[in-house]
Amino acid sequence: MKRPFFIGLAVGIGLAALVVLGLLNTESFLAMPSSFDGIATSQAIWGLKPSNLLMVLPLGSFLVVLARSFIGLRAFGLFTPMLIALAFLQIGPVMGPIVLGSSVIVGMIVAPALLKLRMTRVGFLGVLISLIVLTLVALQIVLDTQLQVDAFPVVVCALVVERWWRQWEKDGPFEAARIAFNTFMISVVVQFVMVSHIALMLIEASPLLMPAATGLAIAILGRYRGLRLSEIHRFAPIWLERRRIARDEEMSAQAVLPGLLDTPDVPELTLENTVLAARERAPPIEGMWVIDSVDDLNSSRRRRVPQVAPDSEVQFVPRSGASKRPAKHNAWIVRSVEDV
Amino acid sequence: MFMDIKNPFKRSATKQAALTRKQMGLPDPSNPLDEILGLNMRNALIAKYNPRIAIDRALDKVAAKEALESHGISCTRSIAVISDYMGLMHFKPEEVLPDAWAIKPARGSQGDGILLAVGKQGDNWVKGSGTVLTPDTVMHHISRIVDGQFSGESMSEDAALIEPLICADPGLAKLVPEGLPDLRVICLGDQPLMAMVRLPTMESDGKANLHQGAIGAGVALETGQITRALKGHEVLNKHPDTGSQLVGFQIPHWEKVLEMASKCGPAVGLGYSGADIVLDVNEGPLVLEVNAHPGLEIQNINQLGLKAQMAIVGEDFR
Repeated sequence: MKRPFFIGLAVGIGLAALVVLGLLNTESFLAMPSSFDGIATSQAIWGLKPSNLLMVLPLGSFLVVLARSFIGLRAFGLFTPMLIALAFLQIGPVMGPIVLGSSVIVGMIVAPALLKLRMTRVGFLGVLISLIVLTLVALQIVLDTQLQVDAFPVVVCALVVERWWRQWEKDGPFEAARIAFNTFMISVVVQFVMVSHIALMLIEASPLLMPAATGLAIAILGRYRGLRLSEIHRFAPIWLERRRIARDEEMSAQAVLPGLLDTPDVPELTLENTVLAARERAPPIEGMWVIDSVDDLNSSRRRRVPQVAPDSEVQFVPRSGASKRPAKHNAWIVRSVEDV
Repeated sequence: MFMDIKNPFKRSATKQAALTRKQMGLPDPSNPLDEILGLNMRNALIAKYNPRIAIDRALDKVAAKEALESHGISCTRSIAVISDYMGLMHFKPEEVLPDAWAIKPARGSQGDGILLAVGKQGDNWVKGSGTVLTPDTVMHHISRIVDGQFSGESMSEDAALIEPLICADPGLAKLVPEGLPDLRVICLGDQPLMAMVRLPTMESDGKANLHQGAIGAGVALETGQITRALKGHEVLNKHPDTGSQLVGFQIPHWEKVLEMASKCGPAVGLGYSGADIVLDVNEGPLVLEVNAHPGLEIQNINQLGLKAQMAIVGEDFR
């Protein structure tokens, strides 16, 4: 009945379970990289070897596909959350968001001033990149010199700042904040799923298993053409209204005496009747759509309205009434199967 | 077993009646959500019906205009097209521009980067909001467009399209406080499926953009009358700013609008298209642009599912 709803729900629950697994797998949340004696952050906290960081990327892309086509979350950029999650893995579960947040906030504060300088878009992005790198260096000095920010997606971050401002200009601050929040939440979820026990086990079992399994899963699930979870919410008014109307009809049908309903006035369905009915339905414009035989009801049948060959000279002729097409209505409205 | 892998989202065989209906290409009546076109399905339809070259043509307003005009569909007139820095250098706004004009990026989307001037004040122009536009600010805006700042992610250079300002048909303009109402007709091939009119409000600042608070009103294809008006999620009967009655309002020139809309998609090469049409006071219906990725909000506004409409027209969703 509400299949898309259950599919979306199942995806959501599965993701939540994986996130919990990832959370359980986290050793410490606030440890600074310098306390790990030179061991990479991802290995110290989650037991994920730096050489295996590449292996979790397909998992990230898989989750992004799930979030987009099953749940329908809007984020800045397509695979931005995946790249951000990878940076989180290298920096730490709490330090990562702090680094990301501060660099994006610095970009956001400076962006309006930069926009006033009337730079080109490339110039604007270039300045943003230098600013974000400056922020990263400053954070390294202030927080921890061992903080691994080299995998931080600086360019992606600059693009996020730019997208933020455009969204703000277009749809106002709330929509922009909502999408920024979505991006952030997807990256956090992706981060914890990447380090859950199941993912780590798959990676440890064989280096080929993870990319192959996720690739196959994306190929299968990527064919999903149904409604997204967010769209069920969006179009729910249509559904509720239909249900209300159906219930009203049922009520009124029950109220009417059953005897009146037993004698419906159904005309006999013959080909002649169909042609007649189609003629009656046709708009009363003379010569518009001539139906002489049953064949004319076929939708692939050529219409009888005289067609004029495309005329490229028309663009130079005065506009009103320029097209040599007769002023006849040539658009069919099809409301039910019988109209075809 | 093998069939399952090929089509993992097939409905279980229990609902045989629903399945036979589905085999006829009709949506399941017991599940109204089945009639609604979602983004995933829309993207699949676009991949099926809209070839890349046609999408590129539709995205580029200048190319789309050429294609439409060669098919005898009237579009808004162009004053100038500035496509490179050379053209930018030689462009003299004070000599070329009339009193009221619109500057648009050829590849902009969702009304991004559109600058409108409604009148002239000495050497400068005035925006609808009263802000003064000096020739210098106009040139800066054009150079931003040519730079590609409004052309989405691609960062490629763009062309600036300059058109005379469209003056809305008084019949339709009396509904709205300010701005230009526009009509959107979704077509599959040359078959109109659903239509709406977008009416600007004070809140939307004269823009006919539903996200910014414009009213969307469903139009019955057969009659051209407004059946239902919606602002956000709120059902309206009258326009909140002008108080004019919306439901039951007859759109002027409806037959012509419908005919134009049904020709737009084929003219540009799109199989699934959404035509944006405005009603000009002098020239009647004019095509503003043709969308290769028309939005889905029209379903909420009309309270009809696009998927059901397409199934009736003959689209096969199996």
